[in-house]
Amino acid sequence: MSVEWVRVAAESDVVEGEPFASEYGENAIALYRYEGTIFAIGDICPHEDVRLSEGWLEGDRIECPLHQSCFEIRTGKVIEGGPAYEDVAAYDVRVEDGAVFVRAAG
Amino acid sequence: MNDTIEAQPQERKWPAEGVSRVPAWIYSDPEIYARELEVFHYGKVWNYVGLDCEVPEPNTFRRSWIGERPVIITRDADGEIHVVENRCAHRGSLLCWQNSGKAKDLTCPYHHWSYSLKGDLMGLPFLRGVQGKGGMPRDFDKTKNSLTKLRVAVRGGSIWATYSDETPPLEDYLGEEILTRLDRLVSRRPLRLVGYSRQVVDSNWKLYWENSRDPYHATLMHPFLSTFGILRTDGDYHSVPLQEGRHEYTYSQYDPELRNRTSEASAQIKSIKTTLQIQDTDVVNSVVDEFNDGMMGAFQVFPTILVQQYFNCLVVRHIIPKGVGKHELVWTYFGYADDDEQVSELRLKQSNLVGPAGFVSLEDSEVLSLMQPVVEGSPHALQVLEMGGHGTEAQSTMMTETLIRAFYDFYRREMGL
Repeated sequence: MSVEWVRVAAESDVVEGEPFASEYGENAIALYRYEGTIFAIGDICPHEDVRLSEGWLEGDRIECPLHQSCFEIRTGKVIEGGPAYEDVAAYDVRVEDGAVFVRAAG
Repeated sequence: MNDTIEAQPQERKWPAEGVSRVPAWIYSDPEIYARELEVFHYGKVWNYVGLDCEVPEPNTFRRSWIGERPVIITRDADGEIHVVENRCAHRGSLLCWQNSGKAKDLTCPYHHWSYSLKGDLMGLPFLRGVQGKGGMPRDFDKTKNSLTKLRVAVRGGSIWATYSDETPPLEDYLGEEILTRLDRLVSRRPLRLVGYSRQVVDSNWKLYWENSRDPYHATLMHPFLSTFGILRTDGDYHSVPLQEGRHEYTYSQYDPELRNRTSEASAQIKSIKTTLQIQDTDVVNSVVDEFNDGMMGAFQVFPTILVQQYFNCLVVRHIIPKGVGKHELVWTYFGYADDDEQVSELRLKQSNLVGPAGFVSLEDSEVLSLMQPVVEGSPHALQVLEMGGHGTEAQSTMMTETLIRAFYDFYRREMGL
């Protein structure tokens, strides 16, 4: 079953060093621009119900504002050491005509 | 008038008669009580906290108490058991409110500080503030704000904790005799939790502690014991003080004929009520000799528990002080993971013997609750402990207070009284 691409932001919304919160259907997601490339990952911490994009972005990691669990913004993978044990989803990203589209990773 | 002025603690002097007298102020003086907690529960002792079957798998926890301090027993993801104070390192609020359960971490309800099951602080909300404002100083060190972690020892299925680095190893603390009895009940087969009873008793914790060391009252105040032949004054019985009076054990050989036997002594036993009958005799007659030794008995491990075996009812009585005139009793009934249906059923039926409304033990908490205001009213009155003489040696009789004297011998040394 093919998964629809969904427009989630204007390309200019997503800047280096600043998370951009958006929605993919019912899922909260965040977009990050890292070394020029845009990435999209799930934005709800698996430990407690809070948006990661309200946390602290450092390099290629986003740190949860509640308990400092860290996730790789390029892959959604959790970094060991915080109270979260599970990864957040990573999404496919496509940039076209000044807009950012994502879809659930195949 | 001098009589109306409460004596100062330094004037607290033990009566010249020694341990055959106990001054009533030890049950009501708040300074004595505070010192007991410091010297005993928070000092160089091993406190029983629970059984391993209460934290049956990785990522489980169970609340317990040491003295008046709430603690949490945890089993981490690797299966290792920890005991931490149930007190948030931030502002001292009660961290864990649930009695037991499954969890991967412990999060305080107040400010959501989050700890691992080992007790390490993992994270706290808004460490870096919000929108560049507030938050913790840069030098705030999470590793210095863990929960208070206790030293833990596990013996068979029993879990122990101590605040002191100077407490000797658990095996030395318990001693050979207690170890043998503890292992008999908790180390041979994996444990199974049968259930709990809890009750608050309005008396000083030592009144209950003495009660478990007092076989003299057992056949008098508990007619069930004599009437149904569980214990009788003319039966086999041994009272053995251990480790300078700290611990003790009592035991008797189970005698299935005791109930039906008449003797010169039985005619004098006023507590045998021939009119009392029991509908389900399994409670007193059906016994599986699961330890192959025909024994029944109990032992105390200072300062927290009495472990008791009545036939196939196995129970830990955990004595938790709650202020000078109050304590809580938590009865933890246990069996074994491989119990068959017959034994499981017997354990449940026979658990009716003990607990807050037990056929045998319901009288204890009643008499002690009524006793507390009396001892408080006459702090300089003396309790008399002369049954079985003045000594503190082991005796093979129920008609003795040797175990209580042995305890106070130990108590006076530790408390400097």
